[in-house]
Amino acid sequence: MRERYHRALEALDQDVVRLGALAEAAIDKATLALVENDAELAQQVLDGDDEIDALFVDVTKRALTILAEQAPVARDLRLLLSIIRVANELERTGDLAHNIAKVPQRGIPVGEVKHIGELLHELAVAARKLLGNAIDVWAQKDAGLAANVQEYDDTIDLLYRRFYKELFALGSDETTFEIGMNAALVGRWFERVADHGVNITEAVQFYVTGDDAYLG
Amino acid sequence: MSEEPAFRVRDLAVSYGSQVALKDVTLDIEPRKIIAIIGPSGCGKSTLIRCFNRMNDLIPGTRVQGQVLYHGQDIYANDVDPVTVRRNVGMVFQRPNPFPKSIKENVAYGARINGYKGNIDELVERSLRGAALWDEVKDNLNRSALALSGGQQQRLCIARAIAVQPDTILMDEPASALDPVATSKIEDLMQELKERYTIIIVTHNMQQAARVSDKAAFLYTEVNEAGTARWGVLVEYDDTSRIFTNPRDKRTDDYISGRFG
Repeated sequence: MRERYHRALEALDQDVVRLGALAEAAIDKATLALVENDAELAQQVLDGDDEIDALFVDVTKRALTILAEQAPVARDLRLLLSIIRVANELERTGDLAHNIAKVPQRGIPVGEVKHIGELLHELAVAARKLLGNAIDVWAQKDAGLAANVQEYDDTIDLLYRRFYKELFALGSDETTFEIGMNAALVGRWFERVADHGVNITEAVQFYVTGDDAYLG
Repeated sequence: MSEEPAFRVRDLAVSYGSQVALKDVTLDIEPRKIIAIIGPSGCGKSTLIRCFNRMNDLIPGTRVQGQVLYHGQDIYANDVDPVTVRRNVGMVFQRPNPFPKSIKENVAYGARINGYKGNIDELVERSLRGAALWDEVKDNLNRSALALSGGQQQRLCIARAIAVQPDTILMDEPASALDPVATSKIEDLMQELKERYTIIIVTHNMQQAARVSDKAAFLYTEVNEAGTARWGVLVEYDDTSRIFTNPRDKRTDDYISGRFG
């Protein structure tokens, strides 16, 4: 029996869930800061990114140690690869929250531009919902639920396209170039948050089924 | 499968007296591949590997049912001489067991009793080179084999096995009594040997099986309801990469990942 090893793997798995919770909270705060154009709240997101990065590095190092010391195989090997991948997705999600928060932190009021602000909020809520569901899929290792989450990404893509059209339709007198540019970036970042969520669900599918088609 | 299998095993069962040791084994072994047999103690790994050259015949009361076809020939057929089988299917054991003779005599021994007509010195050199031992012993061929290190002795046993020109080599935990450096040498040697020989290895070392073999057979112990009898069965036989990343059977997964069933 290799109990210590399996306990270490479980702890790592749980810490990925913890990393997920931190990334979710960062996206929540960044969204609120954006919508309310709250520089102080935005600053909190920027400060909190260190915690996400530190946990990411810790998870990765422990995963490396397990690889080196325990030579995991079969489902343990697939779990460890998935842990490394998902931790990476979540760290990137934290970076996106950081990027998004930078906008209100610098006082650029993209949330206040006509219906663009509303669409952006809608996109943010949808991406956040997908991320949350993806983290649930990870926590429960539920490959069945993974497919639902992936399907929901289509809704986000549609929303993103609508947002983009509206953005192009904005007259140059209605906003400044800086605001339009930042709105475009923020929209793109929320869409990327959803993509990271989808990647997380694929990692779960790989772990559960062992089918390497999910690695791509 | 592109080539005729070296071995075709069909519904193999082995009993010692009234005790069934192994049953329901069906598998094909491709030539010039390394096949690892893995599984917990008492699951019948050694019993299985000994079926490939009728070593089980040497244990009184052994009964073998089913078929072991070697290049299409049933090696348990009445007219088959087990000595001939063992000439084609050599064996290396867990503990190196050189004869208390010179290095040269150890290698030449089998060939001599088989009435080898060729040049003995050439055969000795070729076999020692084949076992990656030549460079270490070429100046001391008349030295006692027992003066060699454990790892060298094991490679000498491999040289002795290949000197009689078999086409298959059975290895029953060939590196379990060796240190890591000697183990690596044996593992590297196996990769060279498989260009010419089919190799079947029993190993307790999961990482060794993962490193060296092309295919792996996982055996597991089944117990009857009363708990009074246990026997080995073949649970899974597949490409080694598949077995170690995504085995089909949960018992395989549990065993190789250290959980046990």
